[in-house]
Amino acid sequence: MEFPTEIIGEKAYIRVTSDLDTELAGEALRSAFNQMYEQGKRTIILDLSGAQIVNSYGIGKVLSCYQKLKAEQGVLMVKPLDGFVKETFELLMLDKLLPVDE
Amino acid sequence: MTPYRPSILVADNDEASRNGLTVFFSEKGWNCNVVSDAQQFDRELNTEAEYDLVIADPDLPGLDLTTLVRDVFRRRPSQALIVVGSSPDTNREMRLIHNRTTDVITKPVDFTLIERCIEQAVRLRDQDERERMSARFIASERTEIKCTCRELAEVQALALPILGRLVEGGLLTSYDGLKIRLAIQEAILNAMEHGNLELESRWKEELGEDGIDRFSRVRKERLADPIYADRIVRFMSFFDGDRLEITITDEGEGFLASESFVQDVGENLSCFGRGMTLMNDAVDEVRYANGGSEVTLIKVLQKSGGQ
Repeated sequence: MEFPTEIIGEKAYIRVTSDLDTELAGEALRSAFNQMYEQGKRTIILDLSGAQIVNSYGIGKVLSCYQKLKAEQGVLMVKPLDGFVKETFELLMLDKLLPVDE
Repeated sequence: MTPYRPSILVADNDEASRNGLTVFFSEKGWNCNVVSDAQQFDRELNTEAEYDLVIADPDLPGLDLTTLVRDVFRRRPSQALIVVGSSPDTNREMRLIHNRTTDVITKPVDFTLIERCIEQAVRLRDQDERERMSARFIASERTEIKCTCRELAEVQALALPILGRLVEGGLLTSYDGLKIRLAIQEAILNAMEHGNLELESRWKEELGEDGIDRFSRVRKERLADPIYADRIVRFMSFFDGDRLEITITDEGEGFLASESFVQDVGENLSCFGRGMTLMNDAVDEVRYANGGSEVTLIKVLQKSGGQ
């Protein structure tokens, strides 16, 4: 499984195209993130519109990306969320942590 | 008995195309509603009106195609949708079909094809309705699944058919169904990773030189070691007509629930400690037994169409 990436200017986008609830999906995120990070991108945006569910495992992977960027004064953002994923982020107060890329 | 009259929603900004479809449907005696821009289409999708088929023009002003398809299926997951474009575009067609669009055709419209799609949509609707009706009569159901950690890691997720049936029968909203599915995933992951494989959450933050965390590395090692990998996770669900109980048991040493529950999730930036919050939010009660190696999720259901 691979998540598509795109670079626009200084921003790197990762499109999560499946639920973020398995080791396979977590590894796909880690791999796409590392690829962008190693290219020097420090503003990385996750597009989670392809995910219906993000579980604690997936959230752990997202936060691992967040920490890595934060240590380098970078920023992890999300595209506007909706549905159950939005509710999950709000429940865990991640909406306060990850700014939205409008 | 009056024959069923299918309902069709046409979203097209081309007047000639709209008129052609409207005339065809009215000659058949079918109900047809027409919208000509994205705003009207959006409003119509937000109503309670049910359509056997939605026919949409990808060039509808004010809406891009991906958003259109996503909006239709988010609001109406089992909707039959045909996209009728002005010119063929293989890449676009593949993308649409991949996104569950029923068919993608090019103008001028082949009415025989439209008629066939509607007949099929009506047949599927009748079948769905029969399944929904029978789901209402579920009185009780018990399921028991036992699998090793190795098997669990291979299947990635356990299917629980009762959840789908309860949603179909209107005993559970699809939103609550998703929440419970997530809670079950969390409980099974806990049983497998922390119970049977004896992995520690804090290892998720210990990164190796290869960028892989200690948790993932040890997990892989233990899944290859029969001492850990052959340990069983037992999964039992019981529905008695009013409440759903799901019990997950592992063969580990257990844990202290009070120490694993992170109270202030907003301040917690660590890569772990959220599973129990998600479980508590999804069900009415989370009960622990045997020192934490057995967890039961309890959801009380309302007979009058979920909550």
